[in-house]
Amino acid sequence: MADSSGTTLMDLITADPGPASSASGSTANATPSSASASAAASQLPSVPMTTTSSSSLGKTILGEKKSKRATLMQIQNETISAAKAALQPMKTNIMPQKQKKKPVSYSQLARSIHELAATSDQKSSQKQLVHHVFPKLAVYNSVDPSLAPSLLMLNQQCEDRTVLRYVYYYLARILSDNGAQGLSTGGGIPTPNWDALADIDAVGGVTRADVVPRIIEQLSAEASNVDTEFHARRLQALKALTYAPSSNSDILARLYEIVFGILDKVADTPQKRKKGVFGTKGGDKESIIRSNLQYGALSALRRLPLDPGNPVFLHRAVQGVSFADPIAVRHALEIISELAMKDPYAVAMALGKVVVPGGALQDVLHLHDVLARVALARLCHTVSRARALDERPDIKSQFNSLLYQLLLDPSERVCFEAVLCILGKYDSTERTEERAAGWYRLTREMLKLPENDSKSSKDKSQKTRRPQPLIKLVMRRLESSFRSFSRPVLHAAARVVQEMGKSRAAAFSVGLTDIDEGVSINEFADDDFIENPYADGARKASSMSGSTGSKETIASLLASLMEVVRTTVACECVYVRAMVIKALIWMQLPYESFDELESIITSELSDPAWPAALLNDILLTLHARFKATPDMAVTLLEIARIFATKVPGKIDADVLQLLWKTCLVGAGPNGKHTALEAVTIVLDLPPPQPGSPSGVTPVDRVSASDPKSALALQKLVQAAVWFLGENANYAASEYAWESATPPGTALMMLDADKMVAAASSRNPTLAGALTRLQRCAFSGSWEVRIVAAQALTTMAIRSGEPYRLQIYEFLNALAQGGVQSQLSEMHLSNGEDQGASGTGLGVLISPMIKVLDEMYRAQDELIKDIRNHDNTNKEWTDDELKKLYETNEKLLDIVSLFCYVPRAKYLPLGPISAKLIDVYRTKHNITASTGLSDPAVIATGISDLVYESKPAPAESDGLDDDLVNAWAANLGDDGLMGKSAPAMSRVNEFLAGMGTDAPDVDEENIVSRPSVGYDDMWAKTLLESSELEEEDARSSGSSSPDSIGSVETSISSHFGGMNYPSLFSSKPTSYGTSQTSERSGGNRYGSSSSIYEGASSPIREEPPSYASSVMQRHDSFENPMAAPESSSFESEDESRRNTSGNPQFGSALYDFTAGGDDELSLTSGEEVEIEYEVDGWFYVKKKRPGRDGKMAGLVPVLYVKPR
Amino acid sequence: MLLAVLISNSVGNILVERFNGVPAEERLHWRSFLVKLGADNLKHAKNEELFVASHKSVYIVYTVLGDICLYVVGKDEYDELALAEAIFVITGSIKDICKKPPTERTFLDKYGKICLTLDEIVWKGILENTDKERIKRLVRLKPPTEF
Repeated sequence: MADSSGTTLMDLITADPGPASSASGSTANATPSSASASAAASQLPSVPMTTTSSSSLGKTILGEKKSKRATLMQIQNETISAAKAALQPMKTNIMPQKQKKKPVSYSQLARSIHELAATSDQKSSQKQLVHHVFPKLAVYNSVDPSLAPSLLMLNQQCEDRTVLRYVYYYLARILSDNGAQGLSTGGGIPTPNWDALADIDAVGGVTRADVVPRIIEQLSAEASNVDTEFHARRLQALKALTYAPSSNSDILARLYEIVFGILDKVADTPQKRKKGVFGTKGGDKESIIRSNLQYGALSALRRLPLDPGNPVFLHRAVQGVSFADPIAVRHALEIISELAMKDPYAVAMALGKVVVPGGALQDVLHLHDVLARVALARLCHTVSRARALDERPDIKSQFNSLLYQLLLDPSERVCFEAVLCILGKYDSTERTEERAAGWYRLTREMLKLPENDSKSSKDKSQKTRRPQPLIKLVMRRLESSFRSFSRPVLHAAARVVQEMGKSRAAAFSVGLTDIDEGVSINEFADDDFIENPYADGARKASSMSGSTGSKETIASLLASLMEVVRTTVACECVYVRAMVIKALIWMQLPYESFDELESIITSELSDPAWPAALLNDILLTLHARFKATPDMAVTLLEIARIFATKVPGKIDADVLQLLWKTCLVGAGPNGKHTALEAVTIVLDLPPPQPGSPSGVTPVDRVSASDPKSALALQKLVQAAVWFLGENANYAASEYAWESATPPGTALMMLDADKMVAAASSRNPTLAGALTRLQRCAFSGSWEVRIVAAQALTTMAIRSGEPYRLQIYEFLNALAQGGVQSQLSEMHLSNGEDQGASGTGLGVLISPMIKVLDEMYRAQDELIKDIRNHDNTNKEWTDDELKKLYETNEKLLDIVSLFCYVPRAKYLPLGPISAKLIDVYRTKHNITASTGLSDPAVIATGISDLVYESKPAPAESDGLDDDLVNAWAANLGDDGLMGKSAPAMSRVNEFLAGMGTDAPDVDEENIVSRPSVGYDDMWAKTLLESSELEEEDARSSGSSSPDSIGSVETSISSHFGGMNYPSLFSSKPTSYGTSQTSERSGGNRYGSSSSIYEGASSPIREEPPSYASSVMQRHDSFENPMAAPESSSFESEDESRRNTSGNPQFGSALYDFTAGGDDELSLTSGEEVEIEYEVDGWFYVKKKRPGRDGKMAGLVPVLYVKPR
Repeated sequence: MLLAVLISNSVGNILVERFNGVPAEERLHWRSFLVKLGADNLKHAKNEELFVASHKSVYIVYTVLGDICLYVVGKDEYDELALAEAIFVITGSIKDICKKPPTERTFLDKYGKICLTLDEIVWKGILENTDKERIKRLVRLKPPTEF
């Protein structure tokens, strides 16, 4: 086996060329490797032989098709020879030259079957079939329908059991083979799509549609054969029949007929199963045959679609519970438990007799079939929880007691299933009440074994006759499972603990008062969890059990269980560890200290073995945990923070952000500050590289060692900054329109230090956020700084004084770059220019500053006017009021461009203007609340945040689901990131417990995933382009700090690539259509300035209009420092013109060798047609293909001289 | 549903695969996911030592037996433990057929029989027979319980 590592399935069919050569004379001539066409020619005579023999059996269809089949065979062989040729190199790779063996082609196998079928009565043929032909045929992933006649013939004529078994196997495969492109469940070496092949043949070939009716016919006949000697074949025929596609109602009806026909004969015989009869030998022949048939019929029935309304169906299934065959019993129970989901009442009634003590269901407890007992647990759970049976508590309790008995089951699988059923976890539909009731059941109920149990059985349950509290049984069982060496057991046990945590959380959230009734609370002072109201309250009075003494409480049981769970984190399997962590997260209660959990997670995340998918799963668990217990927000955020800082590259920033957001809303008035802190901490922490000293500029530091995680961290930081700007006011409950401080006082505190002091003393949350943002605006990467500036503006607009003024000052400083050294001296050490000079952020900031300028100017004006009026004791005339009102509206319009403010309440002119504007409004009957209908307001969704009058989401007992969902939905809408909608769907999917789709293995390996959404793809392309640009920006930024090129590209990547909420994108459609480029930003500006100019006086006085700022920007674009490759918008424009208008031609300046698949090699002087330009590359077309045969591709812009 | 049974050799070439209820476009992903899992974890594994993994609500149990690696994938009632049960039956049957933990050669030699056995163990995505004797009888086209 020296070369065993290289063997494949091809090797198997290579193993022995014997069958083809020894089968018959005609094939012996055709050596396997010879041209298949000639082989086919020599084969032709043998084909009619096969068909005549089959038509002599009364099946005449094929006889007529003789010529068609001959043609088909030819086509088939040609196809296969082509396929073989394709496989040939693979084979030579695998098989060393010394081996002369050649693979047997599919056509040869097919031929052999046809021939051997004709001589199936000979021992040698049978041997050939069994040992060579059939095993090799199994390698292919589908079976040619044209083999069916031969198989059917074999089925009728051959006596050899093994041959027949194979025949049934292949017939079943032909029946089931309904996948397109020949893809069936089989797998293996790909085969052609036979039906398509047959269709290509103009004369007509053998398709599945041709043979399936015949196969069904023959198999049905066999399945109905009552000959007792035949019954084994009968079962196989029935089995093969179930593979027929269930979409065909004719076949289905027929199958039902056959199955019920068998059951009619064998099921009604009253039989009492004797103990020990299960699956063992013994008993008379008749009853064994009957039980075999019962098995076959029920197995087939299980594969057929349920028929819930059909009483016969249910009746037969219920009878099945008493059958002697254990697998038949299992199937019967599975069918019943599925039916019970649909109609529990009917099922319970039908089961009436078998559930009583001593009945057949009780016997299942001792059945040696794990899945049967699992099905029993599910059945019991469904029936005992059914609303339809509320009037029959006796029936419910019977099933309930059966379910509790399953807790004693020796198999973990069954015991855990019973635990899950008790906990209310049945399927993915999560209902809080059901879960809560489940926890109640688990903690309060007792297992009482039925009285006569001792008589009917002699198993270990007798030892535990005394009533046992369920919780103790479960805990003991779980603890012992955690000591297991088997990973599946550990994984399952951790999962059960997780489900326990879910039910416990649910019990918590529905309120404990109704659960605790009648339980004294402070009885056990030695309770570890005494501070935990739940553990006290729901602690069962274990003294009832008598044996354990009164010290044992749920809390202590849980504590010891959790101790074992925590040690399991040492398991070497990450999946087990992940499950353990999830369990710990679920078992965590809001009031407990989570230091231990935190340290576990921290140390776990240092392990590079964790796959990203698993980490995101845990992140989603945090989400689910939060939904269950909003009180946990702060704790969960802390955990999320660990993820963000430890493994930024592996987690999904969107999901994390969603978590931040939902947590912030849910954190409650007191938790908001902490929640915000948890987010901002991401900004402060050093990168996750082990051994890297705590850097002051995390992003740059990481980028040196690991660009990928640096990028991820950067994205995370950006997200955090944005989040901070958008939500700081909410968290701090600081709004300009609720601020009492008149603007005048703020203007007097121009001394920056005093201002900061005053601000932080008044509202530490906001002040803290401000400080962080300020730091980011100086020290982050370009993207971060831009977002930070925007965040600051948002805060300035939304906050009252002195914050607005503070930010105003800061932004001014930032724009001029003057105070940079004062504020960020600590960041200068890394040698990189921070770039916050006037030429950098200034361009971006100036409009923001202007808005604030406007507001302050208008405020000054207003105060002056008021003074004038006061001094002269004049009434305000209507015109003056109108002017004031218009100014107010205008400012509101402008402000709304930057961020959402409630128009009805927001007063850009300061609180002082409120009265005057009110006067004007009442006079002119203007409703103040028009602002809410503003589409932008609705779209951004910030309104939820700002209006605290909304149903306070922070109440611990009722986090409004709708609100949270609205929130999450808004997150998608507000353009935070192109990808957040998928994040939301991922969360929802996770919460719903869905998701069975295939995992992604390696980002690099998966080129395009068919199931990927359009959004994802869009986001991905954007992301990639922004990555490119970003690198560009970084390099040019460091080499020439003043280069505008870098600013420009980073801006474009920022607006276009990341699709962050920009100043401009808060009004999605009103200004300009495209948001993906800076250019459209300019357009929007233009139009906003036109609004501006249409308006009246104070604005006119302002020297630099918005239009001029746009001009400045365009000037800067033409900065000669910017390399021509950088994606300047001019060239983009140009290229767009190219695509739309007449083509542009150019000639190659130099030779260029393609470096990738999409690139095109050029010879200097070559004439090309320029299609478009992208990122410094031209997509060009040549007039004739080059040496590499390519006509079109990408070439660097510099290599081509456009004409 | 037992979503998949997959058998590969030690270098990740797939020898047998049976998918049930897995869309064709996802099979490739499962295949590479499973093979990668095996490559990462099965290097120094003992025969029949069980490994576990999960993806969303799908469970995976896999193991190594001689030269071959076995993977079973399931969801709902086929959780880790039920899959462990299934893989136990499969490994037991393969050992019986090949007489001992199989080399790749012996596995391929018995390929046809293994396919038939698998057919008796997993029937349309549902675990069917678990008793080895019974499986053997059924593969030989004998009735499940003999008289």
